[in-house]
Amino acid sequence: MTIVTGSKTEARLRLQSGRSGLPRKVWQHRADYAYVLPAIAVMLVVIAYPIYYTIELSFFNTPPGLQLRDKIFVGFNNYTAILTSEVFWQVTLNTLIWTFASTFVSFVLGFATALALHRDFIGRGVLRAILIIPWVISAVAASYIWKWIYHSDFGIIGAVLVELGLASRPPNFIDSVSTVLPSLIVVNIWREFPFAMIMMMAGLQTVPEQLLRAAKVDGANAWQRFWHVTFPHLRNVSTVTILLLAVANFNSFIIPWIMTGGGPSNASHIWITHIYELAFGRQRWGVAAAYSVLLFLILMTLGYFYVRALSGNERREAKA
Amino acid sequence: MAHVVLKDLVKTYGSFKAVNEVSLTVNDGEFVALVGPSGCGKTTTLNLVAGLTTVTSGDIVIGDRVVNELDPKDRDIAMVFQNYALYPQKSVYMNLAFPLQMRKLPRDEIDRKVKEAARVLDMTQLLERKPRELSGGQQQRVALGRALVRDPAVFLMDEPLSNLDAKLRVQMRSEIKRFHQDLKATIIYVTHDQLEAVTMADRMAVMNGGYLQQYDSPAQVFAHPVNMFVASFVGSPAMSLIPLEASTANGDAVLTSAEGWTLTLSQANARKIQGATSRKIVLGARHSTIKLHKSAVPGAISAKAYTVEPTGDVTFVQAFLSGAIVNISVSPNIAVAPDEQIWLEFDQERMHLFDGESEMALRAS
Repeated sequence: MTIVTGSKTEARLRLQSGRSGLPRKVWQHRADYAYVLPAIAVMLVVIAYPIYYTIELSFFNTPPGLQLRDKIFVGFNNYTAILTSEVFWQVTLNTLIWTFASTFVSFVLGFATALALHRDFIGRGVLRAILIIPWVISAVAASYIWKWIYHSDFGIIGAVLVELGLASRPPNFIDSVSTVLPSLIVVNIWREFPFAMIMMMAGLQTVPEQLLRAAKVDGANAWQRFWHVTFPHLRNVSTVTILLLAVANFNSFIIPWIMTGGGPSNASHIWITHIYELAFGRQRWGVAAAYSVLLFLILMTLGYFYVRALSGNERREAKA
Repeated sequence: MAHVVLKDLVKTYGSFKAVNEVSLTVNDGEFVALVGPSGCGKTTTLNLVAGLTTVTSGDIVIGDRVVNELDPKDRDIAMVFQNYALYPQKSVYMNLAFPLQMRKLPRDEIDRKVKEAARVLDMTQLLERKPRELSGGQQQRVALGRALVRDPAVFLMDEPLSNLDAKLRVQMRSEIKRFHQDLKATIIYVTHDQLEAVTMADRMAVMNGGYLQQYDSPAQVFAHPVNMFVASFVGSPAMSLIPLEASTANGDAVLTSAEGWTLTLSQANARKIQGATSRKIVLGARHSTIKLHKSAVPGAISAKAYTVEPTGDVTFVQAFLSGAIVNISVSPNIAVAPDEQIWLEFDQERMHLFDGESEMALRAS
């Protein structure tokens, strides 16, 4: 028995000394890998496989009359069809306007609110709680409420405008091609500026008080203190907030889908709603998959900048 | 440069009085240390002078102006902070230039002043670096430089050395002292470290509980503390304070311990305790004024060594007398072991006597 144990130990020692560099490190952390293995397995099933399947599907045609397993290989046809279609460019333009406008205004509004709430005044806590409400209530419920508020016959905004004599009849917010997108963007901003507010409020709390005092003694006025101390300090949290907002807006679905379903005549379709309609409304799985792949590539690029901004933070902090 | 006068300065936060009728004058070119334990009001006092906190009542005069209502930038002061408070995104050059830019000085004048300050503080080679690329000592020097370029009437320093390691602190201490001597600057320096105050300041203001306890030269504060707080705060190791009771024996004034031993007072000391409000007297003795004997000597009090701490130059022995810790310093040649029987002899000329009720020093009337 002792001999066996001895030789086993010896063998293990030989094995270990034989490993070097990376394999050795992996071996040393074998327990850690075992712990994350179930999570990795689940990820492979629910994320990696669907990604693979979507990419595969994007090279096939799936006529509504056929079963999905009888799909027809068409190469890059789906991609060329998308990139040459007029709808694609309209939806892309809508998505860009939607993303940029929502992100920019939400950030600026959130930042301004955060700055206002950073001062100490009576009722600050209550106001802060109220301002977070749009972000915490269900997006679906909010969409229905806003649809009602915008309604051309029964909407409260139209009624008030007429009552005040500012309009002869209630304006058409979401049933008109020219006003539908801005109207939806307003709802989106209303819903997500509290997120920017919370992020920036957290950031503001980390601005060193002593730096602001130093700037005060150095003769900086309120605006100069903001510009030279507060704002540079918030650069990283601003970057992260903007990127998160941009990704969320790029992926928006609930508000436009529930409020307009992309209409009228695609005027409020953005990528995600368009993909959803192609796939689940018209069963054009191949084209929808190709759209998804393109969107995936764009979001990966955004994600790259997000991670870089985050790790840039850590590098700077490690140095400091 | 200018003098600074604080007149009956009060700062309250709700019902809490952080600074209580503090009055003191800092002469032109004088280095004054505000010293005291945490929460004694020293930093609040400095912030009041700087204008970062508003005065509840009283006056602050810098030069010939009452500055109570002025913004910090209009008070002609510069401040050095505990964490240096350098602008992390700006280079050393821009950090130094910032207060001048805020004053809208012409660019070439800013450049000249920044380079001059950098030369004085020997950091010309650091101008392009960012604060995070500097050592603690260098950051501190930049913070000093940023105060220096302003050419202010008064320098305010808020514990500028407390973030540095022990060795660097000693070095920067002499640098700041040198800085003061070269510039003939008026400096108000806040510290909780009595050693910094004693070594650097022309005068030290000892504060406790928002009150100014004593304001005098370090030598005077050390030799003649006005009360038990100052006596125990200034000096390291702290002055031993032994609670005793006054009485007479054979016509001599004696102090009696609860432990039973008595100490016969000299005539001068006997006169001092006549002014006491009660029979409770506290005997104060610095470690160097207590003589340690290894055998019984007339007038010496028997005690047991508790701890023995050799430091190289001197060995500190701690003992208990009347329930109080007594610190004694002895030559390292004298070997004392813990729990060893020792005899302590107090120097009548250099002992301090305090009123046990009011805690004030008893002086010969």
